Amino acid sequence: MRHREAPAASARRAEQLAARLPPLLVAAERVAATVAQGVHGRRRVGQGDSFWQFRPFLAGDPVSRIDWRQSAKSDRTFVRETEWEAAQSVWLWRDASAGMRWRSSPRLPEKAERAELLLLALASLLLRGGERVALLGLGMRPVSGRAMIELLAQAVARRGDAGSVSALPPLAPLPAHARVVLIGDFLSPLADVQAAIGRLAAIPVRGHLLQVLDPAEEALPFRGRVRFEGLAREGAALIGKVEGIRSDYQARLAAHQDGLKAIAAAAGWSFATHRTDHTPEAALMGLYLALAPDRLRGRAA
Amino acid sequence: MIEVLAGISFAYPWLLAALALLPVLIWLLRVTPPAPKQQAFPAVRLLFGLEQREESSARTPWWLLLLRMVAAACVILGLARPVLDSGRSLAGSGPLLVVFDDGWASGPEWEARTGALEAALGEAERAGRAVALLTTTPSAQAAPPAVTAVMPAADLRERVAALRPLPWAPDRAAAARALALAGLSEASVLWIADGLAHGEAEGEREFAARLATLGPVTVVAPSAPAPALLAPRSDPGGITARVAAVPAATERRLAVLARTADQRSLARVEIVIPAGAGDAEAEIMLPPEQRNALAALVLEDVASAGAVVLLDERWRRRPVGLIAGAPEGADQPLLGELYYLDRALAPLAELRRGTVRDLLAREIAAIVLADVDTLTPTDLAALSRWVEQGGVLIRFAGPRTAARPDELLPVRLRAGDRQLGGALSWQQPASLAPFPEDSPFAGLAVPDDVHITRQVLAEPALDLSRKTWAKLVDGTPLVTGERRGRGAIVLFHVTANTDWSNLPLSGLFVAMLERLIRLGVGVAAAGDAVLPPLETLDGFGRLGPPPPLASGLAAAAIATTVPSPRHPPGFYGTEAGRAALNLGATLERLAPLPLPAGASVRRLGDTPLARDLRPWLLSTALVLLSLDLLLALWLRGLWRAPVPVRTAPLAAIALLLFATGAPASAQVDPMRAALEPRLAYVVTGSPEVDRVSRAGLIGLTDFVNRRTATNLAEPMGVRPGLDELSFFPLLYWPITSDQPPPDERAIEALNGFMRDGGIIVLDTRDAGLGRGMNAGASAALQRLTRGLAIPELHPVPADHVLTRAFYLLSDFPGRYVGGQTWVQRHEDRANDSVSPVVIGANDWAAAWAVDEAGRNPYATMPGGARQRLLAYRFGVNLVMYALTGNYKGDQVHVPIILERLGQ
Repeated sequence: MRHREAPAASARRAEQLAARLPPLLVAAERVAATVAQGVHGRRRVGQGDSFWQFRPFLAGDPVSRIDWRQSAKSDRTFVRETEWEAAQSVWLWRDASAGMRWRSSPRLPEKAERAELLLLALASLLLRGGERVALLGLGMRPVSGRAMIELLAQAVARRGDAGSVSALPPLAPLPAHARVVLIGDFLSPLADVQAAIGRLAAIPVRGHLLQVLDPAEEALPFRGRVRFEGLAREGAALIGKVEGIRSDYQARLAAHQDGLKAIAAAAGWSFATHRTDHTPEAALMGLYLALAPDRLRGRAA
Repeated sequence: MIEVLAGISFAYPWLLAALALLPVLIWLLRVTPPAPKQQAFPAVRLLFGLEQREESSARTPWWLLLLRMVAAACVILGLARPVLDSGRSLAGSGPLLVVFDDGWASGPEWEARTGALEAALGEAERAGRAVALLTTTPSAQAAPPAVTAVMPAADLRERVAALRPLPWAPDRAAAARALALAGLSEASVLWIADGLAHGEAEGEREFAARLATLGPVTVVAPSAPAPALLAPRSDPGGITARVAAVPAATERRLAVLARTADQRSLARVEIVIPAGAGDAEAEIMLPPEQRNALAALVLEDVASAGAVVLLDERWRRRPVGLIAGAPEGADQPLLGELYYLDRALAPLAELRRGTVRDLLAREIAAIVLADVDTLTPTDLAALSRWVEQGGVLIRFAGPRTAARPDELLPVRLRAGDRQLGGALSWQQPASLAPFPEDSPFAGLAVPDDVHITRQVLAEPALDLSRKTWAKLVDGTPLVTGERRGRGAIVLFHVTANTDWSNLPLSGLFVAMLERLIRLGVGVAAAGDAVLPPLETLDGFGRLGPPPPLASGLAAAAIATTVPSPRHPPGFYGTEAGRAALNLGATLERLAPLPLPAGASVRRLGDTPLARDLRPWLLSTALVLLSLDLLLALWLRGLWRAPVPVRTAPLAAIALLLFATGAPASAQVDPMRAALEPRLAYVVTGSPEVDRVSRAGLIGLTDFVNRRTATNLAEPMGVRPGLDELSFFPLLYWPITSDQPPPDERAIEALNGFMRDGGIIVLDTRDAGLGRGMNAGASAALQRLTRGLAIPELHPVPADHVLTRAFYLLSDFPGRYVGGQTWVQRHEDRANDSVSPVVIGANDWAAAWAVDEAGRNPYATMPGGARQRLLAYRFGVNLVMYALTGNYKGDQVHVPIILERLGQ
């Protein structure tokens, strides 16, 4: 009987996944569109096909770059410049481990859902901007073009067994100077986080950490005698009176976040936090700005 | 508070010592912290090491503690068995004689009676008095009343627990003799009486006097003794229920329920017994068919054998025999000779079929002969003898009678018949004149839509007008009749079906037959046969298997027998012919009980009974502990409101809609379906297939309506077994491999559909190729048709009517071509030689299907407009075949006819 049921079961599962994909994609596209309105492509001179500007010929320019047709219209000699279209490869990763599949209230999304939404929205934004995007740890080559967002969405949907997935980014063969965006809760011990980030930073790549937390993980709003159990077999903690240790917990969390920030800074990376009860647009904007620092920083200056 | 406590005594007071354990329990509960809430938490690593900080709050809340204490106290108190006592109510001292009436009148308020008895025993037990018991009714073993030995009250409880009300009357004279034998003296007497005098007044008085000699007498009697239902009267319009009761100072309101054998109440009438009156009656008006279904009249809310009157053949309908001239097609719906008779008479009478000899072998009130010309001289003699004795012979004319009239007719018939208003006649169909005054039909309203198109004519005779019971407006006799001996012979000059008139369609037909059946003498009473008990009533008026001692009863004696242990009231005889022995039949009026001199009288139910508090306390404890469980779960966070409040009403509404909507959706509205002819398809449950079927039949209906004179309405989807199929000429049934096989009702419906001339088109939709097109269809076909009366099949022969019913066709393409089409091999004359099934594989519905825009959404294979046109033409032929039968079958012979003409 098993072998007869198996295709049916997988077909059903695929249907469920397919049913789940479009809303996520739509949400991601919507979030991306809000952000994209404010930021446009890299409008500067560079390697590319599309015309950017004519400028007068300067000594030292190769003769082959002179635009003779333009030059013939006047006495001066012009050089044709094209827009810089050097695409960047960005490697995205989100934590798909069991710890992310949690929410404190049915009104909130799971941390994993929010992380996937942010990841796809960012991917969508990057693809619109002409960048090449890949998912870290899946062995996929960076892809470009807006249509590829669906490929990414399918890859995200195949999240695998939450129990066997590591809570930290794997070491993948990345090209040097690639960009990496890591989204997760980073609640693993700081030493493990440091090791994982260090391995990536040694390639070297530049990256961004986004810590996604549930509001309950920040505030610890429980009361009374509670037995807390980890989702990834970390063990359990029996707290006699949660109110009594709330401030201690918050201090520990702040220390952990400081540690993360320090790890990121040491690798030359950026670090940001995001709570699932906040809008994803803000976090996405932050990530996007962090990825395009040179030009936007210049504009802000 | 003190007074209440003073009234409480404990059966096991030493158990109260356990109350001392409560403080220990409190301490135990306080040192054990409640179980923690469980909470999944991803950031648990940050909590490690914080556990030992504060463990202080883990105390059971005080209110939970209080709840548990109260529950524990309730358990301990309940086990100690407290009794809220009423104090002393027994008079005198010395042994107590309890006299207990357990006859039929004790059935109502039985609980109160046994309660009073229990209370008296309990009190005697506490007072240490010995008790003797006398039940006044002969036991079910037919033992006369006897006084038990004087014994401790506790020993008597078993006997008391075994007491049941008995469905016959107490015998107080015998009880008085038992008292004399017992030789009790210096006793106090408690008489729990039923308040009625049952036997001779002398015996009753003697019993009361003898009780008074024993010692102080307390009588516990009901405020109103039980009423009884007397034998009802059978009236033409219904049944008159009669109620008897002891005359009272105020009026009493009772209700009589008319019940069927399966305990459904068909009618309820209120009877008011005026103040001071002893009886009253009320008529229960019921249509005959409902009246015939009655099995008993019951006094509402009075549980006694006297409150039930069982109804038997004496209150039932009469048997009527039906004989058709052509038995083979007699029952065919809408066409058969007996069809309308059966429908008209079934509510009025028990119908029997058979030969004249069979019918006359049993008692029979009337025999209907529908165009019978095959009576043998023996039959004629037997029938005429039976008519003389009181039988009613109702005859219907017809072509056979017109050709060969016999002498068992009220008038002489002229040979042949006359036809009114045919295609070749100037005359209009004739209608009925009002009935003559002396006719049995006098007074029946004559509807003006009854038309007679054809009839047999009577020879003119002097007494013809006297024998004419109904005539047409032109004076022609329509129904003639003659009384012979105690019976009558009646002739309807038309057929019993709609061939000659539409009289059988009219309500007048039913009314006329009803009048005619009442002409006879009726069912003769059974003889002296001994009827065995079949079902008997118990003391609460419930039917059950007869007790072992119940013995048979002579049929003639049933009206006069007084119920007793040997003959308990109930049904006697056999399932087929049951006779009822009723308690009420032997009662005439009810008299109040003569009381012993100097007796103190208490009303039943007045005395506050000693009340056992144990069940109350234990159930309180149970409720409290359940509450505690819920609270504990809530404290641990394991339990929340099971359904969020907002969605609960929606879920309830959805459930309600589902519950009420689901069966409703399965029904085809019969009124809508009956009004116009239309095609139908079997709903397979697969939405895609059902959509194709529907679209296909819509397309075919459209095509048929455009190309032929047929006017079909929009097709319907039907579920065999749930929906009435008889409205549809054709049922299209696509086979899907996952269809559930039809259940028993569906099989019955489909077989009935095929038997009555419907055609089922089974389409395996696989072009005969099996697996590729519609995998599993042939297996499904076998599975689905199991149980259906599919005749022997063969491929459609080249000269089959299906090939020429409208268009001349040589094959039957659908969406596919090449599938073999099968029809019945042997043509069955019964249904006009029409094959009840057509089995094919060409997916015809898909070829016929049209969408909203009128396009054909399914491409034909191999394709082409020609193939689709042929598919439509086959559809037209199919519809014509279903509607006209073998009408075009003659074309088969055309070449031969032409050939002969040529010669």
